[in-house]
Amino acid sequence: MFHKRLQQFVLVYAAGVLSLILMKYLLHLSDYVIPGPLEIWHTALSVFVRYLWNVADTLWIAVVGHLISILLAFAIGVAGRRASWIGSLIRAAAYNIQAYPMVAVAPIIFILLGDGLLARLLIAVMICYFPLLLSVISILSEPVDSVEHFYEATGRMNWRLQVRIRAYENIHKLTTVIVGSATMAMVGTIVAEFVAADAGIGYSIRIALYQSDLSKILAALFLIGISTSLYLTALEWAGDVVERKFQA
Amino acid sequence: MQIECQNISFQYPHTDIHVFDQLNCRIDGAGFHALFGPSGLGKTTLARMMAREINGYSGQILSDRTEKILYTHNMERFPGWAGIGDIISSTTQASDRKFLDTLVDTFGVRPCMNARFSQLSLGQKNRANLIRYLLQDFDMLIMDESLANVDETTRGRIIITLKTLFPGKIFLYISHNMLEVAKFCRQVIVLRSADKSPQAQSVFGQDLMDAENFSMPHVERTMLEMVHVS
Repeated sequence: MFHKRLQQFVLVYAAGVLSLILMKYLLHLSDYVIPGPLEIWHTALSVFVRYLWNVADTLWIAVVGHLISILLAFAIGVAGRRASWIGSLIRAAAYNIQAYPMVAVAPIIFILLGDGLLARLLIAVMICYFPLLLSVISILSEPVDSVEHFYEATGRMNWRLQVRIRAYENIHKLTTVIVGSATMAMVGTIVAEFVAADAGIGYSIRIALYQSDLSKILAALFLIGISTSLYLTALEWAGDVVERKFQA
Repeated sequence: MQIECQNISFQYPHTDIHVFDQLNCRIDGAGFHALFGPSGLGKTTLARMMAREINGYSGQILSDRTEKILYTHNMERFPGWAGIGDIISSTTQASDRKFLDTLVDTFGVRPCMNARFSQLSLGQKNRANLIRYLLQDFDMLIMDESLANVDETTRGRIIITLKTLFPGKIFLYISHNMLEVAKFCRQVIVLRSADKSPQAQSVFGQDLMDAENFSMPHVERTMLEMVHVS
């Protein structure tokens, strides 16, 4: 799986870099705007180790943020699946909040919490939590009548059994949603770092932007792509294991 | 024991189609009865009304010593996370375990008790589903095509077993198999379309208890009556 994802990413990345270089030579742009291939290569080598640590730092925050949002989404999703006023309130709140651009709220979080780890983590959680919550609520609120009927008719249904049945019947959808939200966790963390943090690959991109150094930005993008592919592959593998265990 | 529908009128929300218009019918006494009629006339709807799964109709459904009514249909599934034996056991009282064994043998599902529901044939699925309902506390069990995809011999054996093991319960069997209904059921409620009056009429079948007493003339007479009424 990793091999396939890596191939896809490298193809897209190479196409992007090649089109930049093509643009440079076609439009006679200076090295200041778009550096030459050799300069990109030398810069990439010089920042590789530092950026690798920065990406690892970002990935760590994204993974923790993603895990927290999964736990929260399932906890709140279980309450929100019900057709009661609590469920309606949770659904309406989640719809409205997820429609709001979280990046616009990020400065408030940095003002209140500073530019440290907590602010980055919180923004990562907030960016992937609400869409995840809506998907979980939508999956868990859909009755599986053909399985649930017996338990409803005989008065044996309780919330744990209902959640178990619906999660089991939709396990593939749930794992797909979780894997999909991982990208958002990574994006959220990088955006948070880009806006105001003092660590992580987003912060390094911000510094490179101030220096107008496209080579560094390209090197950072390459490492972000590799680490995201790695994380998505790990999640897909975990999802496959869970699905196989459920259906064994 | 009795259940009686009085002046039932019903149409599904947001439609102009009247499913029932002043429908009256009554099932008297324990035994194996049937609800019969062409597709789309409301057999399932009426059954679910009796089981209190559908409300919003006018008229009333009265019951005498028939409080616990269960409705089961042939599209039901078991949770897939365990074998059907474990799933059935989890909803069976400890005191009924021996009875469960009897039903498993009679229904011929012993070889597949460790299999997951998805691994069973359609007939096995329906028999397994019926077993778990029979192990619940009920006064009346409505079986909507519950023996579909089961071979004729096994169906007959199962119906006679139900009559023998549950003499004090009401069974309402929904089936399109006219011969089977005429042969095994005591009272057959034949449903007709809403523009006909009365919308339901009763016919009496042979109520066969063992294969040796099968009377073809009786069954043929019942079948003719059913055709005539519908």
